[in-house]
Amino acid sequence: MNHDSNPVFSCAGVRIHIGEKEVVKGVDLTVQPGEIHAIMGPNGSGKSTLANGLMGHPAYAVEGTVTLAGEDVSSLPPDEKARRGMFLAFQYPVAVPGVTVASFLRAAVSAVRGADVPVREFRKELLERMADLEMDPAFAGRYLNDGFSGGEKKRVEILQLLMLKPRFALLDETDSGLDIDALKVVARGINTAASNDTGMVLVTHYQRLLNYVHPHVVHVFMDGRIVRTGGPELALELEERGYDWLEPAAAAGGV
Amino acid sequence: MASRPAVEAAPTLALEHIDALSRAAGEDAGILAIRREARARLTPFALPDRANHLWRYTNPARFLPDGDPTAQGPADVSPTWRLDESLSVAALLAGGALRVVEIGDAARNAGVVVEDLHRAAADGFFGTVVPAAHGFLEAINAAAWRGGVLVRVPAGVSLEHPIRLRLVAGDLMVPRVLVVAGEDSSFEIIEGHVGGGAASKVIGVTEIVVGAHADVRYGLVQRWEAGVTGHLTARARVAAGAHFQMSLASFGGTAFKADVGAFLAGEGARVETFGVAMGGEAQHFDHHTEHIHEARKTSSNLDFKVALTGAARSAYTGMIRIAPGAGGSEAYQENRNLLLSGQARAESIPELEILTDDVRCSHGATVSPIDPEQLFYLESRGLAPMQAARVIVYGFLDQTLGRLPQTTRERIQALVAARLHTE
Ligand SMILES: Nc1ncnc2c1ncn2[C@@H]1O[C@H](COP(=O)(O)OP(=O)(O)O)[C@@H](O)[C@H]1O
Ligand SMILES: [Mg+2]
Repeated sequence: MNHDSNPVFSCAGVRIHIGEKEVVKGVDLTVQPGEIHAIMGPNGSGKSTLANGLMGHPAYAVEGTVTLAGEDVSSLPPDEKARRGMFLAFQYPVAVPGVTVASFLRAAVSAVRGADVPVREFRKELLERMADLEMDPAFAGRYLNDGFSGGEKKRVEILQLLMLKPRFALLDETDSGLDIDALKVVARGINTAASNDTGMVLVTHYQRLLNYVHPHVVHVFMDGRIVRTGGPELALELEERGYDWLEPAAAAGGV
Repeated sequence: MASRPAVEAAPTLALEHIDALSRAAGEDAGILAIRREARARLTPFALPDRANHLWRYTNPARFLPDGDPTAQGPADVSPTWRLDESLSVAALLAGGALRVVEIGDAARNAGVVVEDLHRAAADGFFGTVVPAAHGFLEAINAAAWRGGVLVRVPAGVSLEHPIRLRLVAGDLMVPRVLVVAGEDSSFEIIEGHVGGGAASKVIGVTEIVVGAHADVRYGLVQRWEAGVTGHLTARARVAAGAHFQMSLASFGGTAFKADVGAFLAGEGARVETFGVAMGGEAQHFDHHTEHIHEARKTSSNLDFKVALTGAARSAYTGMIRIAPGAGGSEAYQENRNLLLSGQARAESIPELEILTDDVRCSHGATVSPIDPEQLFYLESRGLAPMQAARVIVYGFLDQTLGRLPQTTRERIQALVAARLHTE
C-alpha cells in the first residue's frame, strides 16, 4: 500500500440532485492505491446515488470535483472514466439479453486496455479468473446478467473487476444477497484487487463482509453525508450500536 | 380511405406482349393460360383499399411498375458471384434469366432438379400456394413474371449443404421461385435479394410446397441497394408431420413490403418464423406474416425483431388463423421493436382469428427505445456510447438469430454486424 500523497482517487464537495431533491449533500473522500474504504449507512441514505453519480450516471446532476490519479475527471462521461481506470460494481446490475458474458467482457477489456486482446489469450485469462471465483466455465456463454441469481450477478461484477484491473473501484453492496461461500469468494476477489494496488470504496450496510475484507478506513454515511470517519473499530461499533446514536451528528451537518 | 381512380393506377399489361414473352421463353399452354387469367383479374384495375389491413401502413401505388413489365426484353446482367462455401446448388436470377452457377455432385446424384421455371412450371404446383387471387401484386407477377427457378428435391433426400438462390434486382424485376420438397426430404434453401439502385422495382413471388414429414429451412434475406422499392410474397404449404422454418432478414431498399407465411395444411405440421429487420435513414419497412392453421395438432412459433435508426419506419402485422378444424393446435407470436432514434417509428399489430376453443395461443408486442440503464452499464465498462448501443442492438437481434440454422445464422450475424458498423 502506498501512503504517499498520490491518491488514486479523490472527490471534494460532491453534491448530487435527483430532480429537485438534494440526495448527496457534500462528500469529500481521498483513497490511496491499494487502500480499502468502507462506506456504511442505512438504506435510502444516498450511497448508490453517490456511487452512480461519481461514475457519471447521466440522470444525476453532480457538483464538485472528482480526481482520478491526479487528473480532474469531473466532467468526463462514464466510458472515459472507465478507460482512465475507474470502475463501478453495481448494486443492481442490468441484464443485457443476447450479449454473452465473454463477448461483453472482451469488448470491455479491449476498450479499457486500448487494444484488441487476441481471442485465445483473452479466453485463457477469462477462464482463469472464473476459476478463481469458482464459476462454472459455462457462464462465459450465458447472456449478461440475464436470468442470473443475485449472487451470480455479484460474482460477475467481481469477475469484471478482476478482468478490467481498474486503478479505483466503487463496489455498491457487492456483498448483499450472498450466502457465506459466495461472500468468501467475493471477498477474495476484493482482496486480490487490493493487492494489485486497486484503491476501493466498498458500500455496504453489513458488518459481515468486513470479517473477510479488512478496510483501512470506515465512513458512516447518513442522509447524504459522511457523518463519521474512523478505523475498522468503527464498523464494529456500528454493528453493536446501530446508526441511531449518530443521528445528531447527521442533523448537525457533519463531523 | 377511398380507392383511387382505377384508370390512373392501372398497370399496362398488353396481351400481345404477354403472348410474346411466353412464346419466347418456351412456356407451355398451361403457363400462358395462368398469365392470361391473372391479367384478366387486373381488368378493370383497382388498387386495394387502404382500410384493408394489409395496406394500412404502405401505399400500394408505390409498388406499381413504371411502364409495361412484359414489354421489356431480358437485360444483359452478368453479376459475378464468388462462392465461398460448400453448396448443394447455387443459382442466379438476373436480368430476367436463370443461370445455374453450380450443382454439387451429391445433389445431382440424388436427383435434385434446378430448372428454368418458364419451361418447367406445368407440374400442378405452380400458382397453387400463391395464386393470382392473392392480391394485385401477385396477379401482376403471375401475368408478367420473367426469370424464374424451380427447385425440386426428391422424396427422402437429405442435403448436407444449403441451396442458395441469388436474385439480382435491375430496373424492374418480376421474379418467381417454386420450391418442391418431396416427402421426407430435408434441406436448407436461402433466397437472397441483392442489387438494384435508384428507382428499381421488384415484385417477387415464391411458392414452397413442403411434402409430408419433410424438413425445410428457408431463408429470405433482403439486402438491396438504397433506392429499391420492392414487394416480396412468400408462402409455404406444409403437409402432415412436416417442419418448415423461415428465417427472414431485411436490411436494404428504400421501401420494402414482405407478405410471408405458411399454411399448416396437414396434421402435426410445425412452422417457425424467425426474423430480424434493421432499418435506417428514411427506410420504410412493412412486414406481414401469416401462420394459417388448417389441420389438427399443428404448431407455429414466430419471433420477429426490428431495430430502427434515423427516421426509419416499420410496420409489422402478424396474422395467426386457427381454422375450426384445427383443434389441438398451438401458436405463439412475438414481435419486438427497438428504436435507436427519436425520429424512428414502429407499429406492431397482432391479428388473431381463432375459430376453435381447443387451442393454445399467445402473442406479445413491444416498441421501446434503448434502455438508458443498459447504456450506462456498458459505458461504465469503457464502451463508447455508439459501441454500447451497437452491443445492445446486436444482442437484441442475436437472441432471435441464435435460433436459426448455423450457415444462415452466421451470414445474417455478419450482415447485422456490418450494418451496425456503418450506422
Ligand atoms: N432515480 C431516482 N429517482 C428518484 N429518487 C431516487 C432515485 N434514485 C434514488 N432516489 C432516492 O434517493 C435516495 C437515496 O437512494 P439511494 O442512493 O439508492 O440510497 P442507498 O443506496 O443508500 O440505499 C432515496 O430517497 C431514493 O428514494
Ligand atoms: Mg444502494
